[in-house]
Amino acid sequence: MATDRKVRVLLGTRKGTYVVEGDARRRSWKVGPVAHAGNEVYHVVADPRHPGVLYAAVNNGFWGPSVQRSTDWGKRWKEIATPLTPLSKNRPPPDDPGNASAGRPLINLWHIEPALADDPATLYLGADPHLLFRTPDEGKSWEPIDSINQHPAKKDWSPGAGGACLHTILVDPRDGNRLYIGLSAVGTFRSEDAGRSWTPTNKGVETPFLPEKFPETGQCVHHVVMDAANPDVFYRQDHGGMYVSHDRMDSWRRIGKPLGDDFGFCVATPAAAPGRAYFVRLGGEARVTAEGYFQVFEWNDATKKWKALVRPKQFPGDFGVHREGIATDRLDPPGIYVGTTTGQLFLSPDGGKSWSMVPYAFPGIHSVSVAGPEAK
Amino acid sequence: MLDVHLDSWLRTFGPRGREEVTAGSVSQLLDVLEGKYPKLRFKIRDETGHLRRYVRVFVDGEDVSATTGVATPLTGTEKVDILHSIAGG
Repeated sequence: MATDRKVRVLLGTRKGTYVVEGDARRRSWKVGPVAHAGNEVYHVVADPRHPGVLYAAVNNGFWGPSVQRSTDWGKRWKEIATPLTPLSKNRPPPDDPGNASAGRPLINLWHIEPALADDPATLYLGADPHLLFRTPDEGKSWEPIDSINQHPAKKDWSPGAGGACLHTILVDPRDGNRLYIGLSAVGTFRSEDAGRSWTPTNKGVETPFLPEKFPETGQCVHHVVMDAANPDVFYRQDHGGMYVSHDRMDSWRRIGKPLGDDFGFCVATPAAAPGRAYFVRLGGEARVTAEGYFQVFEWNDATKKWKALVRPKQFPGDFGVHREGIATDRLDPPGIYVGTTTGQLFLSPDGGKSWSMVPYAFPGIHSVSVAGPEAK
Repeated sequence: MLDVHLDSWLRTFGPRGREEVTAGSVSQLLDVLEGKYPKLRFKIRDETGHLRRYVRVFVDGEDVSATTGVATPLTGTEKVDILHSIAGG
């Protein structure tokens, strides 16, 4: 399918998948019909290597999870192979003490991540309970990555409130063998060998909910993104605050303290404005926006300063935003898109200078991602 | 021959509403159905072999989901209903 200049905002919601189309000016939007109606869709993502191809992590409360694929920008979807837990063939039997997921079926699918352009059929998939899979053939089959799925410490890993989700998968654009993952409530890991081995990367991230404040693992990472211009730089929203790393996650520095409460779930960074990251701060107890109105905070990694992007009280209310609930496009100035748990889709077409809301009441939004053109 | 009825949602995975199946247990019955309709695999049972949480299996009107489950023996003449339960919001 040919590329075009449309910006497509892909929403995974409590009740299905939506594709919201706009032009490059990002001033008017058309909401497409719901797909996967009635299903919890935790993530929808475009495959930039194959224009028109979308993947969705669909979680049905009755029939279990499935991976769905579209080849026409979401007009039609088809269920493709769904990965299974280590109980599938060639895996240890469920009563094997070395089988960390013994007796536990696949619960929910959380995140689908295409690999690099020079590996065009490979994708990664993160799932609950703390499972990572790779497909070498665009989802026709899935291989469990046993270095995580059978990790020797897994028996000690605990779930977060959302489950034992493996929700963040990042691929270094310079080297497809370098992978980063984030798991609730375990923390982040880096692999230098395409997932054969992993190193915990949580140094400096505090765990206020554990007796030990800076353990090697046990952090409840909520989401992590990689800076578009510098793949050694990462921005992290953790249960314990907002952080930045400048050394491939070898160490983290907390940046959120000037905001007071720096709890939240989501973070995004724009291609056209490297060194910036967008966070939505939530109250740690209520887990909705702490101000009584919608607000997005921009971190400038050059000036080390924060800036509130939304005019106070422009959108009054108490908004929740999930870990995949914010995304940016690749245009200049960058578009910022935020989906809320109460179904609003807020957006800025100009890097946060102005904001509006798509006039459509969606079901509660789990995930937002953007498929769109590159900046000219 | 077992007289098996599946609800309308399960029919989207391939089967008609009613099937005639020969099997000695609920587990065997599901093996037969999944063999005939591969899209049913892991929909009624998860990959551990257990019934999914919101699936109900009735044998001659008795809900066996939470009792004998997939191990429920069948003599071969029963009426078996496979339904999704009332849940959600």
